[in-house]
Amino acid sequence: MPASGAEPASHTDAPLHTETELAASSVANPTPASPAKPLTRDRRVAAGVAVVPGLALHGSGHYALGHKKTALALLIGEGVGLALVLGGYGTLRATGNSRYLAGPAVAATVFGAGLVLASFGADLYGTLSTDGGAVDLISRAPPRLESELGYRYVADPHFSYGHFVVERVTLRQGYFRLEPSAWFATNSSNVQYRVEAAYRFIGLAPGQIGSRDDHVELVLGGLHQRYLPEHFQRSGLEVALDTRFDLSHLGATLRGSFVDLALGYGVAKLTYDLQGLNVPADTDDLLLAKLGLGVALRGRAARGSEARVYYDHRHDDYAAGFLTPGRISGVFGKFGADLRWFFTPRLGVLVDARVGSTWLGGLSLLLREGTVAAPKAWP
Amino acid sequence: MIRRANGVAWLSLLSALGCTRPAEERTLKDLQVGHAQSAALEVQVASGLAAVRDLTHERLALWLSAPSADISLVVHEAVQLELRVENTMASAELSDLDSGQTLPVSSGAASTKKTWELALTAGARHLRLSAPGAAGNGHFRFALMSDVQEAIDRVQDVYRVINAQADLDFLLGAGDLTEEGEVDELQRFQQELATLAVPYYTTLGNHELGERPPAYQQWFGRANFQFAHRGVYFTLLDSASATIDPLALEWLDGWLANARDSVHVIAMHIPPLDPVGTRNAAFASRAEAAALLAKLAEGGVDLTLYGHIHSHYSFQNAGIPAVISGGGGATPERAGDVGRHFVVFDVDATRGIVGSEVVRVDDSER
Repeated sequence: MPASGAEPASHTDAPLHTETELAASSVANPTPASPAKPLTRDRRVAAGVAVVPGLALHGSGHYALGHKKTALALLIGEGVGLALVLGGYGTLRATGNSRYLAGPAVAATVFGAGLVLASFGADLYGTLSTDGGAVDLISRAPPRLESELGYRYVADPHFSYGHFVVERVTLRQGYFRLEPSAWFATNSSNVQYRVEAAYRFIGLAPGQIGSRDDHVELVLGGLHQRYLPEHFQRSGLEVALDTRFDLSHLGATLRGSFVDLALGYGVAKLTYDLQGLNVPADTDDLLLAKLGLGVALRGRAARGSEARVYYDHRHDDYAAGFLTPGRISGVFGKFGADLRWFFTPRLGVLVDARVGSTWLGGLSLLLREGTVAAPKAWP
Repeated sequence: MIRRANGVAWLSLLSALGCTRPAEERTLKDLQVGHAQSAALEVQVASGLAAVRDLTHERLALWLSAPSADISLVVHEAVQLELRVENTMASAELSDLDSGQTLPVSSGAASTKKTWELALTAGARHLRLSAPGAAGNGHFRFALMSDVQEAIDRVQDVYRVINAQADLDFLLGAGDLTEEGEVDELQRFQQELATLAVPYYTTLGNHELGERPPAYQQWFGRANFQFAHRGVYFTLLDSASATIDPLALEWLDGWLANARDSVHVIAMHIPPLDPVGTRNAAFASRAEAAALLAKLAEGGVDLTLYGHIHSHYSFQNAGIPAVISGGGGATPERAGDVGRHFVVFDVDATRGIVGSEVVRVDDSER
């Protein structure tokens, strides 16, 4: 373990590639300039250190590799996360879940816990990843158009539905995004329509060149859910700030990893359709908070491929909030993981898994256009 | 093979982390409440409206969950039985349904803890424990108090004010009697109830789930049940896990049908929807919450009562009047303007919920 001195040079520390290099490599799948190297003994030891004592002191793995600045950044991330958790949870306890402070306190707790998990995960990723440099060759700009057609299974003992067809289209024009989507139950009349309109303040627009995927988007959303057999419908509006922070800002070893953060507020009208009864509607509001840790996939995967684990606080979708057999149920949202794997620049799949008060899982086919210069033939 | 083992391990981990029916075990356990047997005796309390606390050759001890309960005994051999019943209405009487006679009480005539000495011969016996007039229609008052938790040392303040209320038939609870639901906490809660002049009919809250498996039902009986009193139906549901088990929802369909043409009060711990949605001290699924509320509205429910939030809220859900009352003493919601309190309801079988009053315990003491 280096005791002092400059950050060690490694293949993952290579400078970010130039825009010319990126543009040149952007037509086909990128071939890593620095292909993955076998995991050396140093890295195996560092990965072990990232776990013990890294579970308590995040960044230990990077410290063992000699990446002290990155180690310090991860340790600070852990500290800030713990402070947010303690502050948020402490506020909830001290104020008896005050109606005025519960929302911000829950948000602080969620983000705090997310930061703690993210700093640990990033430390492990940075010590184990040997081909971070390959990410530099992947253009991270979003496509102009992406469409999704897929299947989801929802295991919810409270509802008769189970099988869904999922459709989504994402259209981007410059920094604007429009994203209508729908879920149709095949064994019930249940349906969910959703539309998002977003403006990207920071980040790449389609066609732009860049190897980092930082972005900040303001998202306005509309949601309509029809539960006809259960005699209610729910229609809502929401506003959220959706961000992605590329962890390469913290150090070259973290290239290819990112943290997703979203925070927002939603309000909904709950209408009851009961024959012969005039039941007044209820108004319902909810905190929107999402935190994820992901990695951009490279190697055999085409650009745009990524894997992510996340926590999503919303309670109004099919997976809803987390249930436990113990004392704490209802407060937490769901946990999820998704994998976007593109076989070619145009064609890919999405694997989606979520655990809330239900189990949700499924697979979608993804088609996209406008990421890069299109090949002459359809893949 | 290793990949398969890894897959199984991941599935096991996910199963442990998340479950879709956390209340299933408790709901199934409800079916066993009120039933016990020994070599000499078999006892069955109709609808599980009492927990059998003790059954020996000489003694049967019950904890009532309702003002009235029908008790069926199958006596295998002649026995002199001491029947101890706790949590009864002070005016409750024990009738022998086979002979139509009222049986003389041995002790506790004017208390919530009564004893009868019964000389039982072999065969089946049918007893009914009920307060005079409980089966008819009429006006009465009951109170709602929930969320005592760590404030058990101060609960006698609340009971003193409750005891001072005139014409209160019983106290209704919406859970969180204890901090963790441990046996010694449940025992302590029952001991403290000895000074309460009226019985306490309650379901459990999330704070009763600290023990695995929860001991609550052995002490206080069913988590999901329904009883009728003076023509008004009361249905208590187990929402302690921020959901209601699908089996309990099946029972609810029947209970809603029972009460279709009567005044119907529903109580549970965690409310389906939190009036402050960003806090979400409510069901884990907004869809499940809405489906339940639609079911209650369709069933003609007159009043919904909740605990969990340590303050007082009065609002409507699906057009049904709703009250959240978590004023038993647990850390109060600081921003709320109501601390320790309970709510008294005036009810009439023909006129519905006639009125309600928030009684502040700390204010009353000043």
